[in-house]
Amino acid sequence: MRNPWAETGNYKTSYRQDTAIFATYLEMLSLWALVALLLVLPFFLKRPQVFVLDLILVYSLAVLGLNITTGYAGLINIGQAAFVGVGAYTAALLAPSLPFWLTVPIGGLAGAVAGGIVGIPSLRIKHLYLAIATLAFQIIFEWTVGHSTILKQGGAIAMPRVEFLGYKVGYKNHYYFWYYVILLVVVLLAFAFRNLLRTRYGRALVAVRDNDRAADAMGMHPGLTKIFAFALGGFYAGVAGALYAYLSRAVVIEDYMLPVSIKFLAMAIVGGLGSIVGSFLGPAFLVLLDLNMEDLANWLKSLGLSYAGVDIASAMRPLTFGLVIVLFLIFEPRGLANWWRLVRNFFRNWPFKY
Amino acid sequence: MSYLLQLLVSGLVVGSIYALAALGFVLIYKASRVINFAHGQFIAIGAFTVYALVVYLKLNVWLAFGLALLFTALVAFLVEKLFLKPLVGQPIISVIMVTIGLASLLDGLIHLTPFGGGNFSLPRFLPEGGVSFLGVSVSYPQLLAVLLTALFLAGFGWFFQRSTLGAAMRAVADDQMAAMSLGVSVEHVFALAWAAAGITAAAAGFIVGTVSGINLESLVAIGLKVFPAVILGGLDSIPGAVIGGIVIGILENLATGYLDPLVPGGGTAEVFPFVVLLLVLWFKPHGLFGTEEIERV
Amino acid sequence: MRRLGVLILLALSFGFAQKVHLMWSGAITGPTSDAGKYYAQGVEDYCKYANEEGLTGGLTIVCETRDDQYNNANTQRNFEEALERGDPAFLGYSTGGTLQLKPLIQEVGMTYIPASYHIGNIDPPNNDYVFLPIVSYSEQVIALLEYIAKEKPGAKVALAVHPSPFGRAPVPDAKKAAKELGIEIVEVQEMAKGLDYTATLKRFANKGVEYIVYQNVAGPVATMIKDAKRLGLNIKHAAAHYAGGPDLLRLAGDAAEGVIWVTSYYMPYEDAPGAELVKKLGKRYNRPADTLESVHYPSGMLAAAIAIEAIKRAHAAGKPVTGDAGRAAVYAEMLKLGFDPGLAVGPVTYTKDDHVGVDHMRVLEAKGGKFVPITEPFQSKLFRKVHYGK
Repeated sequence: MRNPWAETGNYKTSYRQDTAIFATYLEMLSLWALVALLLVLPFFLKRPQVFVLDLILVYSLAVLGLNITTGYAGLINIGQAAFVGVGAYTAALLAPSLPFWLTVPIGGLAGAVAGGIVGIPSLRIKHLYLAIATLAFQIIFEWTVGHSTILKQGGAIAMPRVEFLGYKVGYKNHYYFWYYVILLVVVLLAFAFRNLLRTRYGRALVAVRDNDRAADAMGMHPGLTKIFAFALGGFYAGVAGALYAYLSRAVVIEDYMLPVSIKFLAMAIVGGLGSIVGSFLGPAFLVLLDLNMEDLANWLKSLGLSYAGVDIASAMRPLTFGLVIVLFLIFEPRGLANWWRLVRNFFRNWPFKY
Repeated sequence: MSYLLQLLVSGLVVGSIYALAALGFVLIYKASRVINFAHGQFIAIGAFTVYALVVYLKLNVWLAFGLALLFTALVAFLVEKLFLKPLVGQPIISVIMVTIGLASLLDGLIHLTPFGGGNFSLPRFLPEGGVSFLGVSVSYPQLLAVLLTALFLAGFGWFFQRSTLGAAMRAVADDQMAAMSLGVSVEHVFALAWAAAGITAAAAGFIVGTVSGINLESLVAIGLKVFPAVILGGLDSIPGAVIGGIVIGILENLATGYLDPLVPGGGTAEVFPFVVLLLVLWFKPHGLFGTEEIERV
Repeated sequence: MRRLGVLILLALSFGFAQKVHLMWSGAITGPTSDAGKYYAQGVEDYCKYANEEGLTGGLTIVCETRDDQYNNANTQRNFEEALERGDPAFLGYSTGGTLQLKPLIQEVGMTYIPASYHIGNIDPPNNDYVFLPIVSYSEQVIALLEYIAKEKPGAKVALAVHPSPFGRAPVPDAKKAAKELGIEIVEVQEMAKGLDYTATLKRFANKGVEYIVYQNVAGPVATMIKDAKRLGLNIKHAAAHYAGGPDLLRLAGDAAEGVIWVTSYYMPYEDAPGAELVKKLGKRYNRPADTLESVHYPSGMLAAAIAIEAIKRAHAAGKPVTGDAGRAAVYAEMLKLGFDPGLAVGPVTYTKDDHVGVDHMRVLEAKGGKFVPITEPFQSKLFRKVHYGK
């Protein structure tokens, strides 16, 4: 490497250099700067805004999982919300007896197990049919929760108030506390995600996505790899679910139903399928869009522009959501991460043009 | 015995609604290999158009029905031209997501009308009561449902076998390249397939309106029930779609009749078709009548 | 606090009316929106009316209705926004949402008036700040069971409920009451969004069910009633508050003849001050006919009326009506509230132990396309015995 601070082009000479997580010291520094900024950010924001930030981070976790299953391994998963729900309900059941730093990983493991089970059909069916199978699992999950008395049949299961090192988290600092917890988890799991491709397992995922018969010929077991992909995606989702349960103070089935699965898919696509940056940009974009649409609709209503029997806000949200997905797919199918990639490449070659 | 018979007959009625919806779904898949997640919204558009024409413009029911068929066909046609054409050749995930996005878009548009929430029922245009035989009672709207489905089936069957356009569509479904080389406009066929799907969806919506009330959520839920029906019948088989729809309708009724007492609160009809879907995918993924896809290395 | 009160009085004396925000969050679209739509209109219209007629004691009450589409996450977000804004009370809607918010409501001390009459809302834990406008679902269903037991002792009854906490709410109490009354609850069926309820109805008929008691919203109930008529079944239908009403008659047509219904509200064609108010407001704010006929329109009005009355009284007592102090002041007023806006068959009364506003209800029967009362306003003693054990 010619210059450890700025790349100014591609001078990599070994495989090890290519797969390094940080290409330059500058990259590493900028990431630490970002983390530092994130650490102090809540002090400049009002409470509802911190809540929005927490939501974005939790969704990013779920979308990271989806990007492993759908982005890396190419297995379309229309049931990610069900895995999130598995993690959430596990946390809800265990919360009265275990501290949160245990229930969250256990929720993740439960999500992984659920993912493994859903992955079993991938031993026999592929592509579209597998996607439809995940849809069926999502519906079955919803129904099972709705009919299990232990899970209050989908009604609200309240999460107990959390105590950390003898300090009870109350209403005023709820979102701030969880912000730091979620941030820590997100940073850890995002690094794990980034690291995945360097390992044998990650490369197996991509190989199986690209051509599973060839991968089979090369000695990887495509079926087991696919199950592994689902399980890993399920783990991320389970962790996200447990955190979300604590964040929203209660677990209700409506937060883990089909429309939410679709939202996760949309976030993954809008962000950029398979990219780590996209896993953050997608949720951020869609959550902020949703909130702005609500404000816009309320403003329109106050202007008296609504008419009898119609609630503009309920129209604007799905309308813009659908429009955004469709426009991205037509004009920018590689998602927001593509814009980021272009910006990065510009700086990679800077000060040279190419 | 008459209990079972009644369950079968009501299952047939509900199943013909599913069959009509599944028919449109399969048409789209056969022609353009697209899984349409927005089918429920097409059904809703058809149903609400009939309602609006009958209640607000005071048109005759059958005239409203015909106009609704045309309108929904037009909407589906536009959807194909505007949103699906640009995505030809893209990976399957994009195509799936586009119909999902469309479902949301159409949902939003429907919410801009007063039909976004609440229940609506078509004014009655058939006589009260129904027919009874063997201890089974069927109301006139239900008879109409079965009749209309049979008519549509026959109509489409004739269309595909006898007309040039139908033959062209079958050719495109079989082998796009060969069809193109023979002068068939594949673009045309795609759009027509979508329009035809719109017609069947509107018919399904109309029937739902006559048999029970119209409500956006339950109409969209029918769009979801289509999946078990087409997987059972085979994604690319038209008779499969119809048979799949009817079987799913019957299975739902049987589940309510016999499984519900075993489960607290009942409601097994919601989940049973999807369990069947999974079983079919495991044992016979291409359904009863679908074509086996053989992967070559 | 005192300084704030003085400031407010000063501000008022300058003729500058203080603005107090009141939010309602519920399903204007989505599940149960056939009730929520009209409820929201009731809240909005009563608010406007109260401001215009000076029923707000010099304040300007700004009402806001938000559509949360029956999604609890949205309800929670709306609630927290109202909390941040300093609203002194909150008008809720869904059973699930209320139950989920109870811990938070308890922690912040926000007076919460939901459209859900689930008894669990005002049962411990975390129940100090939730107030029901009228009698709970459990009490309504038990009242229906009492009426059925009187009409036909030893009857066989099936419960048909909405597949959600709202629907399941009265089931445990109903089962206990049925045992006391000597009637048999043969089955409890959760009504899925079905196109056709033939299978369920046939199953009921095979088991000899004579009455179906509904805890649902009007849409699915209308379908089931029509199906029962079509199948020629000799079954009588009894609906709790949300399951019945003029909406049911509109949707079910003449199949609804003979359906009995229990509620605390007056019908718009009755000779009562509440009915007059409904007609007046509906005309003033240009509401269509189906709003005026719906029972959810006066329901929304009542909820808004209760909140506004409490706020007005807190203000008249010189207390603040926004922020933490406002919440406490309004809550204090709620605990001793007693007034009658005329919308229901009894006055709204609250005490520390009684969080049910209107304690009375009536049974009505559908005759000739209208619901007519067939009992005088009454309370259900059996409910108190079954639920509280006294």
